[in-house]
Amino acid sequence: MRVDARRFRARDALVVVGIAAVLLALFGGRGIRDEAKEMEPGLTRSTLTAIGAPTGWLADRLPFADVTDALGDALSPEDDLGEAAPVASSGPAAGADTTAPVDPAAFDPASIGATPTEPPELRKVLVTGDSMAMPLDVEITRRLADGGDVRGERDPHIGTGISKSDLLDWVPLAARQTRDRRPGAVVVFIGANEGFPLPTARGRTVECCGAEWAAQFATRARQMMNTYRQGGRARVYWLTLPLPRDAERRRIAQVVNAALRVAAEAYRAHVRLLDMERVFTPARRFRGTLSISGRETVVREADGIHLNDTGAKLAADLVLARMARDFAVLR
Amino acid sequence: MVFPTFEFAVFFVAVLALSWALMPRPGVWKPFILGASGLFYAAASWRWLLLLAAVVLVNQACAVLVHRHRADERRRRQIITLAVALDLGLLGLYKYYGFFVEELNGVLDVVGLGFPLPLLSLALPVGISFFIFQAISYVVDVARGLVTPARTIDLAIYLSFFPHLVAGPIVRAREFLPQLETPRDPRNVAVGTGVVLVAIGLVKKVAIADYLAREVVDPVFGVPQLYASPDVALAAYAYTAQIYCDFSGYTDIAIGLALLMGFVFPQNFASPYRATSFRDFWRRWHITLSRFLRDFLYIPLGGNRGGRARTIRNLMLTMGLGGLWHGAAWTFVLWGGLHGAGLAAEHGLGERRVRRVPAWLRWLVVFHLVVLGWILFRSPDLDVAGTFLAQLAEPGSATLWSAPVLVAIVTVIGLQLLPPRPLEALRLRAENARPGALGVGLAAVILLVAATVPGQGVPPFIYFQF
Repeated sequence: MRVDARRFRARDALVVVGIAAVLLALFGGRGIRDEAKEMEPGLTRSTLTAIGAPTGWLADRLPFADVTDALGDALSPEDDLGEAAPVASSGPAAGADTTAPVDPAAFDPASIGATPTEPPELRKVLVTGDSMAMPLDVEITRRLADGGDVRGERDPHIGTGISKSDLLDWVPLAARQTRDRRPGAVVVFIGANEGFPLPTARGRTVECCGAEWAAQFATRARQMMNTYRQGGRARVYWLTLPLPRDAERRRIAQVVNAALRVAAEAYRAHVRLLDMERVFTPARRFRGTLSISGRETVVREADGIHLNDTGAKLAADLVLARMARDFAVLR
Repeated sequence: MVFPTFEFAVFFVAVLALSWALMPRPGVWKPFILGASGLFYAAASWRWLLLLAAVVLVNQACAVLVHRHRADERRRRQIITLAVALDLGLLGLYKYYGFFVEELNGVLDVVGLGFPLPLLSLALPVGISFFIFQAISYVVDVARGLVTPARTIDLAIYLSFFPHLVAGPIVRAREFLPQLETPRDPRNVAVGTGVVLVAIGLVKKVAIADYLAREVVDPVFGVPQLYASPDVALAAYAYTAQIYCDFSGYTDIAIGLALLMGFVFPQNFASPYRATSFRDFWRRWHITLSRFLRDFLYIPLGGNRGGRARTIRNLMLTMGLGGLWHGAAWTFVLWGGLHGAGLAAEHGLGERRVRRVPAWLRWLVVFHLVVLGWILFRSPDLDVAGTFLAQLAEPGSATLWSAPVLVAIVTVIGLQLLPPRPLEALRLRAENARPGALGVGLAAVILLVAATVPGQGVPPFIYFQF
């Protein structure tokens, strides 16, 4: 391209970039620190942490970052849902000498021979989660739109996670989604970005993926389930994770799925755990293809984590079939 | 590594400083910049780095051979064919294998020949469409005698140079390799132009393209049956603005970064929505791709030699394949077909007859056909495209219309229709500012733009998937 403007010296390029970098460190130093916290371990995270720690420290002590925060409040498309509050664990520390009473919601009526309580009329279905929920959200919403009686709404948050809560905490997000949208059913598919340390009620953080981390994760997931079920006025369809190809991610996904099973136990009457692990990764072995209608078909994205369009269609079939058992309007 | 992120900012500041420090010593600078570009690419996947290295070595071997046998026409052709076949084979394997196998298996099923071909689920290496095209241009330009074979390290830098590695512009070998022959002059750097381009690119991508995608485009193209004609029409115009801001925003940043490092890339956009014909549009939109398609596909096919029917065939083939280059889907083929038909119609009518139509009417027709093309381009499949078009006739209320959305769309399209001189003069004033003012301006733009980013961060550029 033709450049008509004045020519500078290379030193000027460094001066320009240097001035911009210093100003950004003063005004946005906290952002660098926060972004580093959200990254998976590795060279990039270490580098950003090394830069973010001093710039964040400086930004905390100078008034400039407040200007940036005010700017973010004014222009950001989202409410501030960052920084997870520690969640009271149901472990011994939460009350060694008391036993929490079992809620009747823990019983699926069918399992005790009781008549299932008819849920209220279904008008709206919310499909949410992280990138796992895409393109499942589109698939379910499209099918509901074709049916005509129930409206589907999508609210995926890419790059987020239940254990990755510095920028977006799913526990308050679930409350906001429920308050703003009042869905009669919520479909949740989340877990592509898990494995980050979780804070405990004692002020510690636990690293993934032992029993203590699983307990913290299950507690958070159970809080979300409780919020989404709205005291029994709504049904929750929570999909477990199909196991990823990568061994490290697979280990995390297995712990997440185990935690979800424990979390859902408390609300069996209203929360349906849909086992995608068994459907897409039978015998706990990763496979990119499945036999559908007698034809071997690719169901996973090449990244070995997400479902592709065909996989999402299969998952949508299962979700809507289970939903139809709860809601007559979908039969 | 995506440009508008802190990690890239840290990477670039370090690379820029070291690059100028090492520039006087090419023996050190070249391995350094190659390593930096490798690090940039390996952030996506180190395995793809091996693929890129293989592309460098194979094309270098072919270029050296073709140069050695330049007097032997038959051998020269064989080597070019081999190089192009290997390059396109690699591109085809990663990009089109799954698509063609699924389509072919479907056809085999229909005719009762149930012999399914093996399925592979391959991750598409970022930027493969771009560096493969550049590799082809290198070998062919060597064969045509336009460049001599470069040193292997120079070719590696040319193909992997991080500002243009993942989404272009498609820089020709003869444009880039001469810039490696001598160190860039540190007293002659277009710092102002580079900084202003980076700032404009960030605004286009983060503040406009991503905003329109979030507010209008993604919801409507996701489930068009939920929206009536006012919203569907708005989404079509919004995507028209979004794709321009997204892709030209990326290009602005890429060209700006290269300028700061002392390199000049070719222009890739020139107010495309100002076009009054399809021919004009392709001189303004993704200029480096259209000239590649012209020089390496349309002209070798025969171009406009051989009569009207052959020209139309060549135009349709070129644009159809150009559409397919964007992705393995019938929507892209149709998009290319629409542009091919537009070019063919203009060719069939002849320039004199076309010019009889008032310019405003030509613009109106071409612009809306381009918008129609974008509907096909954005739709994930033909079903969604069909539903989207059907919903354009569905009466109903406007639920997504808002002042910021309308202002964004009108600004993006309207600015391209204004006379360019006053805007260029304004830009030139900014480019000529003092370094201190440029630094403060850049920081202010970054902070403003960053404030509009949602919690989930900046989505990748649309053209990363191609």
